[in-house]
Amino acid sequence: MLPHVRHVRPATLGEAVRLAAAPGAVVHAGGTDLLGCLRDGVCRADTLVSLAGLAELRGIQEERGKLRLGALATVAEVAAHPVVRRLLPGLAQAAAVVGSPQLRHQGTVGGNLCQKPRCWYYRGPFHCLRKGGDTCYAVAGDNRYHAIFGGESCYYVHPSDLAPMLVALGALARLAGPAGGRVVPLEKFYVLPEEDFTHETVLQPGELLTEVVVPLPPAGTRTAYRKVGPRAAWDFALAGVALALAGEGGKVRTAQVVLAGVAPVPWRATAAEKLLAEQSLTPAVAARAGEAAAGGARPLAGNAYKVELVRQLVREALLALV
Amino acid sequence: MDNSGTYFVAGALPEAATPTEPLPPWTSTRVVGARLPRVDAYERVSGTAVYPIDVVLPEMLYAGILRCPHPHARVRRVDLSPALALPGVRAAIGPDSPGADIPWYRAQGRAWSRLLDRHCRHQGEEVAAVAAETPYQVADALKAIAVEYEVLPFVLDEEQATAPGAPPVHEGSNRVGEPAVYERGDVAAGLAAAAVVVERTFRTACELHAPMEVHGSVVRWDGNRLTVWDTTQGVFAVQAEVARALGLPLAHVRVIGHYMGGGFGAKLEAGKYTVLAALLARATGRPVKLFLPREDTFLATGNRPANRLTVKLGAARDGTLTALEITSLGAAGAYPASAAATFMATELYACPNVRARDETVFIHAGRARPMRAPGYPQCAWALEQAMDELAGKLGMDPLALRLKNVPRTAQRRGNLPYSTAGLEECLRRGAEAFGWERARRARPGRATIRRGVGMAACFWGFSGGPPSTAIVKLFSDGSATLTMGASDIGTGTKTVMAMVAAEELAIPVERIAVEHADTGTTPYATPSGGSKTVPTDSPAVRAAAAAVRRQVLELAAAQLQRPVEELTLREGRVVTPADPSVSLPMSALEGLQRQGVLVGVGTRAPNPEGTVTIPFAAHFAEVEVNTATGEVRVLRVVAAQDSGRVLNRLTFDNQTLGGVVMGLGFALTEERVLDPATGRMVNANLHDYKLPTMLDVPVEMACVAIDRPDEAFNSTGTKGLGEPATIPTAAAVANAIFHATGVRVTDAPITPARFLAAAGGKRG
Repeated sequence: MLPHVRHVRPATLGEAVRLAAAPGAVVHAGGTDLLGCLRDGVCRADTLVSLAGLAELRGIQEERGKLRLGALATVAEVAAHPVVRRLLPGLAQAAAVVGSPQLRHQGTVGGNLCQKPRCWYYRGPFHCLRKGGDTCYAVAGDNRYHAIFGGESCYYVHPSDLAPMLVALGALARLAGPAGGRVVPLEKFYVLPEEDFTHETVLQPGELLTEVVVPLPPAGTRTAYRKVGPRAAWDFALAGVALALAGEGGKVRTAQVVLAGVAPVPWRATAAEKLLAEQSLTPAVAARAGEAAAGGARPLAGNAYKVELVRQLVREALLALV
Repeated sequence: MDNSGTYFVAGALPEAATPTEPLPPWTSTRVVGARLPRVDAYERVSGTAVYPIDVVLPEMLYAGILRCPHPHARVRRVDLSPALALPGVRAAIGPDSPGADIPWYRAQGRAWSRLLDRHCRHQGEEVAAVAAETPYQVADALKAIAVEYEVLPFVLDEEQATAPGAPPVHEGSNRVGEPAVYERGDVAAGLAAAAVVVERTFRTACELHAPMEVHGSVVRWDGNRLTVWDTTQGVFAVQAEVARALGLPLAHVRVIGHYMGGGFGAKLEAGKYTVLAALLARATGRPVKLFLPREDTFLATGNRPANRLTVKLGAARDGTLTALEITSLGAAGAYPASAAATFMATELYACPNVRARDETVFIHAGRARPMRAPGYPQCAWALEQAMDELAGKLGMDPLALRLKNVPRTAQRRGNLPYSTAGLEECLRRGAEAFGWERARRARPGRATIRRGVGMAACFWGFSGGPPSTAIVKLFSDGSATLTMGASDIGTGTKTVMAMVAAEELAIPVERIAVEHADTGTTPYATPSGGSKTVPTDSPAVRAAAAAVRRQVLELAAAQLQRPVEELTLREGRVVTPADPSVSLPMSALEGLQRQGVLVGVGTRAPNPEGTVTIPFAAHFAEVEVNTATGEVRVLRVVAAQDSGRVLNRLTFDNQTLGGVVMGLGFALTEERVLDPATGRMVNANLHDYKLPTMLDVPVEMACVAIDRPDEAFNSTGTKGLGEPATIPTAAAVANAIFHATGVRVTDAPITPARFLAAAGGKRG
């Protein structure tokens, strides 16, 4: 049952930042994740600071070689945007496989990037480490959906489909906060449990994600997003891969390979990227890149299949771009 | 019949009323068999239909239940006072409150628990309940109740339950009764004589019913009489249990069902929530509404138990079965329930040497309930995959192997003949509609993504019978009311029953109103479960309408001065086929005008002796498998169903396709997951418990209706449909996956993880 909360709708970004900085305040955009979190007691709030009045956070604009995705742009808008579809098909693919049609129309870019972990212990009646307890239940529990990379004391996987693709595209996150604005690479926006197991992002109290800036890639860049889910819709990735390959023809100059559903943050497969640089995309190279991407995985008792999924998905997604 | 017991939980059935004279089969029909939309389609889709969860009464309180968070615990102390001190809270009851000691979970001649018991044997077991002015105050009050638990060790699955030194769920062994063994012939000799033998162990997942409408009741006392609006499959079953629990005469408990949002077997009995609501209503003198949060329904309203099944088959070189052995171990949950799953294997195929063994054990988890064909989908999962494997070993087409072994009699039931035996027709016509031979010949190839086809067959061992009574009232304008006790659990019961009455009265369905599922106003009916509502109740409806029809014709004969044999009904009029000048609207019948209404009462005749009547089905599936990732896409399904006469092809298709979708969930996605360390369910919500979405369901799904009236069985020629529509689907999908990939996945659901594990080195 939803707890009692105050709902405020500031008219300016400055006011929103001020309100959001107050203790017990939580930012409300599409609400598709937030309301569930409040209902299930995953997070607590006295005040919801609605961003609905901030027109400047809406929309998608192309501008001087960049695509600016407002934090309030819906996931459906991203999936349908002509520039996204023409120049960043991988981003359109990622947006199109988020949740369900209803969730894509209501959910926003900002909300998708800032959503809370979907770990069933975190979401369920378990007082886990991330909720102030002293243990990660996934370690001894049913961890079929948990992390094979980057889990240290806490093993959730980042739930976003957009984030890995945007990281692969070198997107920047623009933040507004009480101390002013700042821009961080989206890759640096996320925090591993080993750095801080109480936060998923670098957002400080009162700080909001206002915009994501995607540099439009040079001609010849190929992008793709592919995920495997437990079912065909309304689900998160068991594993996924976002690719951005720069180069001509079958030749890769540089590669960005970012994995979804396997780590608490969008997981950059650095070894695969190195291996792909200045290579021709042959089946053998793709298979080696898959191996490299899966290298270093530390599966738990119930999720070793994800290692194989990474291997196969990277290989398959690369070959699909030839 | 073994499985019938699970549908009648409320004690002894009343005697069947004296059956009315048997009616001859329809020679032709005008309404029955048509594709008609549901009589309540507008109400259902527009939101004007009032479901129990929609009921709001003046002065009504809301109520909620506090549940044990542990799989096994003893309640040391409950302090209700902090809850009672909160604003708006009007009553709270705990394990020491009056009524908490009402015996609950009756089986094997005793009660295994109490309404609110200090010994909690599964997560979600009821500990306390509160009533307050608003749902929010209820939530706050439940949080305020202070409970001290002594957490106890637990067992979560059938292996843990049977391990040496396992913590007992109840005093003594964790077995629910002695294992049931059935034998005929000599299995050892049959296996010795076999040219080919296959043996394999399978496991199915614990699944949840997950009906659209959560469980719950609204209750209101008028003096010492209780009215209950309950979301139930059987109002009379709920009435009996509530009356017994509260010590009330049956006549003082009125249970109203009307619309209800799905049950699948989870709503065949009274819930503790109904009795708790009644106690809270009595304590406060106010009506009380108690509906469960979705999470609680996953914990405490039933499930399809997980089964471990081992099948051993022997066959001669030509495919003739020589031996069949099946053993099942299933988990009933924390209180007695059946997890038996072998019955179908003993009769689906002709085999002289059979041994079947069913063992059910307790575990510290929610109690199993019948779920759409209790035991049968599990049995099909194992038996039909084993048959597929046997066909492979014999080098036979799986369809041909089944056709080779179609039984001519019910081998476990005195070798009685089937009144109509549709297995062979389902196999042949389903295969033809599917294009089986051609699809089966296509080579899956060596590509990463491969296609394959598979099939599986079934029967459902039951077709209903007495008692059932229906009443038809014909009004003076020629419109009519049909009154019957049966619930329409979403299958279209009201629609097809109205069609049966319309057929007999020769009036349009639109002229018939249906009153149903109300113990205060309708005649007795058994719960709508067991795929038996249509074959049980439609003959009673027909008899009631026929009784009115007879009166109409007699009144008309007197008025028209013609022999009654010359007269018949057509389009709301009394006519003489031989003489077009005779045509009297029913509304012009003087006798009807005088009497106001004509009343007909019909009852269900007994089933014929010397035959067995059951529905059959065969399902065919085509899948596409990504052998690298284990992703499975079901491309198409054909479901061939022999359910006797089809009353309405639209609702028939609805029900069949719904069954197929449920089978796809069994095959690919659905699974209750219990945390091994804490014993708590981790996916007790509609996101993590993975029901198929629209994108998981193939666009191409088709039904083949055999549509052969079983005229020897009952006056409408009908058999059941709801359960045989889901039994073989999952096995057909598993067999298709094997055909595509050569990988036999024995454990359901077939997730990418399970496929990849089973594939091991086989992927190429």
